Amino acid sequence: MTTLEAPTLTIVSAIDMPARRATSPAGIAMRQFLKSPSGVVGLCLLALIIVGTLVGPHLYRVDPLDLVGAPFMPPDSDAWLGTDYLGRDVLAGLIYGGRATLAVGAVAALITIAIGLLIGSLSGFFGGVVDVVLVKITEFFQILPPLLFAMVLVTLFGSKLSTITVAIGAVSWTSAARLTRAEFMRLRDLDFVKASRAAGASDRHLMLRVLLPNALPAVIVSATLAIGVAILFEGGLSFLGLGDPNVMSWGLMLGQNRNYILDAWWAVIFPGMAIFLAVLAISLVGDGLNDAINPRLRRRS
Amino acid sequence: MALAIHLTRQIANAAALLLAVLVLNFCLIHLAPGDPVQVIAGEMGGASADVIAALRTKYGLDHSLMEQLAIYLRNVVTGDFGYSYYFNEPVLGLVLQRLPATLYLTSCALVSALVVGTFLGVVSARRPNGLFSHTVTVFSLAGYAAPIFWTGLMLLLLFGSVWPILPVVGMSDVVHRKQGLNYVLDVAQHLLLPSLTLALVFIAQYSRLARVNMIDALSADYVRTARAKGLPEWVVIGKHALRNTLIPTVTVAGHQFGNLFAGAVLVETVFSWPGMGRLVFDSILRRDYPTLMAVLFFSALMVMAANFLTDIVYRLIDPRIRMGQR
Repeated sequence: MTTLEAPTLTIVSAIDMPARRATSPAGIAMRQFLKSPSGVVGLCLLALIIVGTLVGPHLYRVDPLDLVGAPFMPPDSDAWLGTDYLGRDVLAGLIYGGRATLAVGAVAALITIAIGLLIGSLSGFFGGVVDVVLVKITEFFQILPPLLFAMVLVTLFGSKLSTITVAIGAVSWTSAARLTRAEFMRLRDLDFVKASRAAGASDRHLMLRVLLPNALPAVIVSATLAIGVAILFEGGLSFLGLGDPNVMSWGLMLGQNRNYILDAWWAVIFPGMAIFLAVLAISLVGDGLNDAINPRLRRRS
Repeated sequence: MALAIHLTRQIANAAALLLAVLVLNFCLIHLAPGDPVQVIAGEMGGASADVIAALRTKYGLDHSLMEQLAIYLRNVVTGDFGYSYYFNEPVLGLVLQRLPATLYLTSCALVSALVVGTFLGVVSARRPNGLFSHTVTVFSLAGYAAPIFWTGLMLLLLFGSVWPILPVVGMSDVVHRKQGLNYVLDVAQHLLLPSLTLALVFIAQYSRLARVNMIDALSADYVRTARAKGLPEWVVIGKHALRNTLIPTVTVAGHQFGNLFAGAVLVETVFSWPGMGRLVFDSILRRDYPTLMAVLFFSALMVMAANFLTDIVYRLIDPRIRMGQR
């Protein structure tokens, strides 16, 4: 038997699979992702932005909170992108501010997804009373407009960067929870899960090792998009004067300079452009990922 | 009968959710750093010692938490949402006074977003790989990613300074007061930029949604049947396919009312539109907590009303779903 099977396998791999081609789900998804032009463009743009905020401070050595010149200096050779209403360098603000903005986006998205996964998986896995209670809680959070709720939280608890991050993370988890719940409910009754259960797997094992890995692809896309939403929220909060005044961020630049837009458009347009490009890059990556790992939806895009 | 049961259940559910919002408000007041009385009075409200003492008695702040909650709920039920010491007015009146302006703005933005978004999506679905379709796709990505307050500021810069043809501040001309029809036209003119700004984000989303659903609908059997019957193309698309394209858009639009409202807060701040959003901005600035809490409550109420309306519209568009037999 074994001698018969071995050559067949060699022939198949020789014809269909050129040497060392990834066949793991992640590898397949990666190849699919690289085939989508928008995903690749988004990834390059995002990489450029991240590298810029990481390497930038070493190349452009200006403190973003220092007053480097007169207020409202237009872009020229002294300050490449001009100065803001206090005389702070706009380019330095963009470089350093990007760090805070992207960090808030990433951490808030992590919080969002963590809460969403927890609530959604418990709800979808156990069903019954647990599900009813958790769905009610989700429903409750859905009727509060997320950005408005975040505004109330930050106003009450103070505009520190950490508070802002937690507030953003805590208000926008409902869609992630619903998505996870639906995935868990769909997977729960599939044969391989029944088989694991019949083999004596504990609830914990089933949830973490069997269901979670299979639910993740759907969640990863929503996590990517959550970063973009969180960045927009940070911008919105700062715009309303709820940004952390001690940490430079793109939203803070916009919020502080918006009243002087007629005197210095550059201090408003450039940070807004930065937010726009970052969110655009993230949603392009999200689209690419969606096409790559949710093949059921691929034909629709 | 089924309808009555359905409605009763909906109303009971809504009441429970609103009660939960009030309990949340109460918890937030007590969890916030500092003395609750400071929160109720508003940090910068300039409440005097007498007022503080009066508030302490009124809200029973020396009683147990449960009793305080009962007092708070009783006040709200009688229409007492607290007093804004910054605006020097009861909060309820303040909110109700600003509500119409926000409703004009949001409904105008919503309707234009639905119409334009669906139109763009439907036209681009006719040739999914054509130039127009790609343009719509790029536009919808850009519209999603552009921060709404930034788009607003760009339009403000463009129409306020570079090419000043439209009013960019407020809701009507306060210098030259107008009457009758001229007043309506004046408000409509002031409404143009704020509602355009707010609508752009949603046009982006709805055009994308309509495009995908229209592409699906056009390849469905019933469309092929309709074409085979020899119906003119505009009937096939406008009547048969459009109905199925509209269902998901209406659902999404209705359930996004919260986002629409939050967007309005930012847009109203940019264009000094005198609605609830502007009120939110002012109360954040002055740490006027009672007003902020009341706006949170009323926004939840509006979200629920929007969900309820969506439910009805949804049933009207989709004859497969009838009350009580889902």
